[in-house]
Amino acid sequence: MTAATGDAGNAGAMGRNLHYVAQKRRVREDRRFVTGTGKFVQDVTLPDTRHAAVLPSPYPRARILSVDTAAAEALDGVHMVLTGQQMAADCNPIRLGLKLPEVKWYPLAVDMTRYAGEWVAIVVADTAYIAEDALALIQVEYEPLAPVIDPEQAFAETDLLVHPGHGSNVLYHGHFLWGDVDGDFAAADDSLSFRARWGRSSTVPIETFGALARWDAGTEILDIWASIQMPNFVELLASTLGYPLNNIRLHQDVDVGGSYGVKRGIKQSVLVAYLARKLRMPVRLIEDRLVNMAGGDAHGPDRIFDTDVAFTNDGIIKSLKIRALDDAGAYPGRAPFQLAKPISAIVGPYTINSVKYEAISVATNKTGQVPVRGFGQAPTNYMIEMAVDAVARHLDLDRLEVRRRNLIPSDAFPYRIPSGSDYDSGDYHTVLQKGLDLARYDELLQRRDKARAEGRLAGIGIATCLEPGGGNNIFEYLMDPTAEITTFMEACEVKVDPQGRITGMMGTTTSGQGHETLFATILGEELEFDPDEIRIVHADSLSALPTRSPVASRMAIMLGGAATGAAGKIKDRAMAIAAFNLDRPAADLEYSGGTISDRNDPSRKLTWAEICFIAYRAYHKLPPGMEPGFHAQFVFQVPGGGQLPDARNRVQIYPCFSFQAHIPYVEIDPGTGKVSVLDYAIAHDCGTVINPDIVRGMVIGGLAHGIGAALYEKFAYDGEGQFLSASFADYLMPSVHEIPDVKDVEHCTPSPLTSHGQKGSGEGGYLGAPAAIASAVNDALHPLGLTILELPMRMHKIEALINDGSG
Amino acid sequence: MKAAKFDYVLAESIEQAVAALAAGNGDAIIIAGGQSLMPMLAMRLATPATVVDINNIAQLSGIEAIGGEVVIKACTRQATALASPLVQMRLPLLAKAISHVGHQQTRNRGTVGGSLSHADPASEIPLAALAMDARVSLRSVAGTREVALADFFLGPMMTARADNEILLKVHFPEEPDGPDGSRMGTAFHEVSERHGDFAVVAAAAQIQLDANGRCIKAALALGGVNGVPRRIPALEARLRGTRIDPDAVRAVLPEIADAITPGDDQHASAAYRRRVAGVLAERALLEAVAEAAP
Repeated sequence: MTAATGDAGNAGAMGRNLHYVAQKRRVREDRRFVTGTGKFVQDVTLPDTRHAAVLPSPYPRARILSVDTAAAEALDGVHMVLTGQQMAADCNPIRLGLKLPEVKWYPLAVDMTRYAGEWVAIVVADTAYIAEDALALIQVEYEPLAPVIDPEQAFAETDLLVHPGHGSNVLYHGHFLWGDVDGDFAAADDSLSFRARWGRSSTVPIETFGALARWDAGTEILDIWASIQMPNFVELLASTLGYPLNNIRLHQDVDVGGSYGVKRGIKQSVLVAYLARKLRMPVRLIEDRLVNMAGGDAHGPDRIFDTDVAFTNDGIIKSLKIRALDDAGAYPGRAPFQLAKPISAIVGPYTINSVKYEAISVATNKTGQVPVRGFGQAPTNYMIEMAVDAVARHLDLDRLEVRRRNLIPSDAFPYRIPSGSDYDSGDYHTVLQKGLDLARYDELLQRRDKARAEGRLAGIGIATCLEPGGGNNIFEYLMDPTAEITTFMEACEVKVDPQGRITGMMGTTTSGQGHETLFATILGEELEFDPDEIRIVHADSLSALPTRSPVASRMAIMLGGAATGAAGKIKDRAMAIAAFNLDRPAADLEYSGGTISDRNDPSRKLTWAEICFIAYRAYHKLPPGMEPGFHAQFVFQVPGGGQLPDARNRVQIYPCFSFQAHIPYVEIDPGTGKVSVLDYAIAHDCGTVINPDIVRGMVIGGLAHGIGAALYEKFAYDGEGQFLSASFADYLMPSVHEIPDVKDVEHCTPSPLTSHGQKGSGEGGYLGAPAAIASAVNDALHPLGLTILELPMRMHKIEALINDGSG
Repeated sequence: MKAAKFDYVLAESIEQAVAALAAGNGDAIIIAGGQSLMPMLAMRLATPATVVDINNIAQLSGIEAIGGEVVIKACTRQATALASPLVQMRLPLLAKAISHVGHQQTRNRGTVGGSLSHADPASEIPLAALAMDARVSLRSVAGTREVALADFFLGPMMTARADNEILLKVHFPEEPDGPDGSRMGTAFHEVSERHGDFAVVAAAAQIQLDANGRCIKAALALGGVNGVPRRIPALEARLRGTRIDPDAVRAVLPEIADAITPGDDQHASAAYRRRVAGVLAERALLEAVAEAAP
């Protein structure tokens, strides 16, 4: 992949002279990953650790008539076989996002299985081999029942219920109206309707989920190491096990081998925690790929959109009516909320006047859905971009021109959208133009048209998409007004030790996003120390300050904000010590690289070493009332957040909005339907880039992820509910061979809401690439008069569309 | 994904290997490169009592030209075969096929004989070998026999090799350009979603033209369209003796329809495989003819 030139997210726009932020500097995590010295859950070894293996149900829906574990328990080396009934007797159901009291989710199936692959029993043995031997000896008597697989059928179904006690398969059904939709439709020149489908795909990290638990009978603390990325993990673990929160210590200093939302691990961790305490032995469960894909936390949104678009003859889009039906699978967790986050950017980057939004989450006999990168925004962005392309096709207008007519102009920020978000900042037209320049759009058009003249199917994709960043779970309130939760904080602690060395302590695990680099860079910038000399550690859950974990493209904004706040407190403290000892008002003093001097007489100064000595050793030189030591804590609330929705359900959910313009070029083999992505240009604006290599990795990695969702990846089920994609032979992820050379360019429109003008960047490539590839494929099919609005656009579907008219 | 218990025999000679197979009584399996067998063991899709490792048997590696044949010994790595000048010069269809097998890393381990013994209906080496009229030598404690590839594949992952036999080598008849000006052309086409995947559909063609451009011999084999790789004899017969041009190829393609019985799965429908078999056959035949054209 070639490095493109461009504004490397220069925060010079913030009017500050930056030394470390926005500079191309080494990513500190890289060394340990490249040299194989990372520490993952699997690398944590405790003496006498036992190994667990789980028994999956072969049936998507079946009554469990009996489970005979005697032969398995008799096997040499087996310590315990736990069934769902035994587990349920000793724990509470796992708390769901929505209050659905009759949707009871236990770590192991109780009485009934609800998807193929659901865990029915777990074995603990001396080795993982013996544990798997024992699985084969467990006798389960099932009574198979007809499953409900199709989400539309599930929605309408009254007899065939995934959770009979709940009374229907509908987990959530909400109606939102922002603005005068009927009026806008009536006044518009024209309208169109389409159905678009987002396939069940996910992030599929290279490390599956793993957890290791140890019960310390002496201290009565449950120690757990788990590859998680999840807010409220310990709270959920405690409430499920019925333990006091302060009995559990989650070790967050393990590296997490990829996540982007899917490393939930709650049922897995409940199981190992329970077993470790029961057996008084450390117990470890490392999912293998088959278990992970079928019964772990692997599946993302699976969504059908029915959209009506009202527009003028000039292609100005006035209003949208959206029905989104999402297949949450058997146990919803937080899945329904993935329909709610997109409310924060429900009109995309466009000046659409009004929106009607019907959101439905249904249960089916499939693996439960978990959060995936963007938390529902990628499917919504895809639908919005398909709407814009459809309007252009309908009016026979250029897709670029239609976008230019609808993009929010740069002088309109902050811009309030109908659902209540204020978009913080943006310059969409300029970023789009940068993308077009990078793609050499005129040459690309010639290339496409030449290919077409030679009889090939060639297309250019255009997608202009938003990435809400910063996080805030006020969307929970939109779905459940009893969930009056407006806090979504992130915190850190900064310590300066007696040597003057700086240590930053964050409160979560990290799963490849480079938080240590981020944190150190901001501390270095603010305190004027080389970030490479700043230590970053991950507190365990008993010593950590409040966190909502690295979700929602939020850590640059939130950990960045917390770090800036804590650094400010450190400087304030240093300044107070200096003012007292130099006998000068703080206003006359100036801080430079840790040394504080009198502006009027620079020879009067206190060095960093002297300040640290006073803080730790010279109580008599501390200002009266100041506590000894040298540390600061800062808890940062989401900027602009903290309010409940108004009476018309308008609310600011996410604070910051990053923007991207994607321009891929594809060709399709008309004989086989195979799509080749031959070129890709992306212009990206996430405000100030804190570390260029990290952002570039996010953008290009996300883009590859999006190409996977667009063309290849699907967790597929057959009509009987059998799971067909349990390995990488059937769940197809793109490799380097399928990803073209990506040209990328950054633009910087700083956010006015954040410490350094930064916005989120972890989701961006993924939030636009599926839409862009779909746009390109449909452009290639346009001369044939064909469209495909279903992801993934597998080659056999495209071929059938071309050669069989069926699709 | 932890293998069930098995006994492991590291055979140092062909004799030791066949003895271990005989002792296994039908429940012993050979491991060579392990690119298919290791995942099958890990997933417990294969639970043999004994695994006989043949990687140390020097007599099972190597490529040589003997009496009008190129012989590839079973444990020869796919990467070695692909890099071999003998294969590139004299068995160009095989070289083209192997370039589609997995990735460099898997070809470094995977073997030619292992691919034939495994007999995945969508794999490339069996398809090319079938088009090339190859034979295999099989050995057990009872002795050695040869089986033509046309008789070797019985079904998906099923071959004529008995449980107590080891595949020793593959014999490829050489098809040199004739002194009379006849020339051979080959082509291998496949479609898969991603680079390195098993083919959804694949076509291998080998065409010999005389000095006047008339077809002397034609072979077309299709993969992914049956439980076993398939030759299309009726199509081949109609091409022999003719001058092959695009119209001629199109005229004979309907012969494919009756010779294949593709199935449906999540990656492609039977109808897709039927249509694409024709597309790839046409491309492969025309490319082979173009290569052979005087």
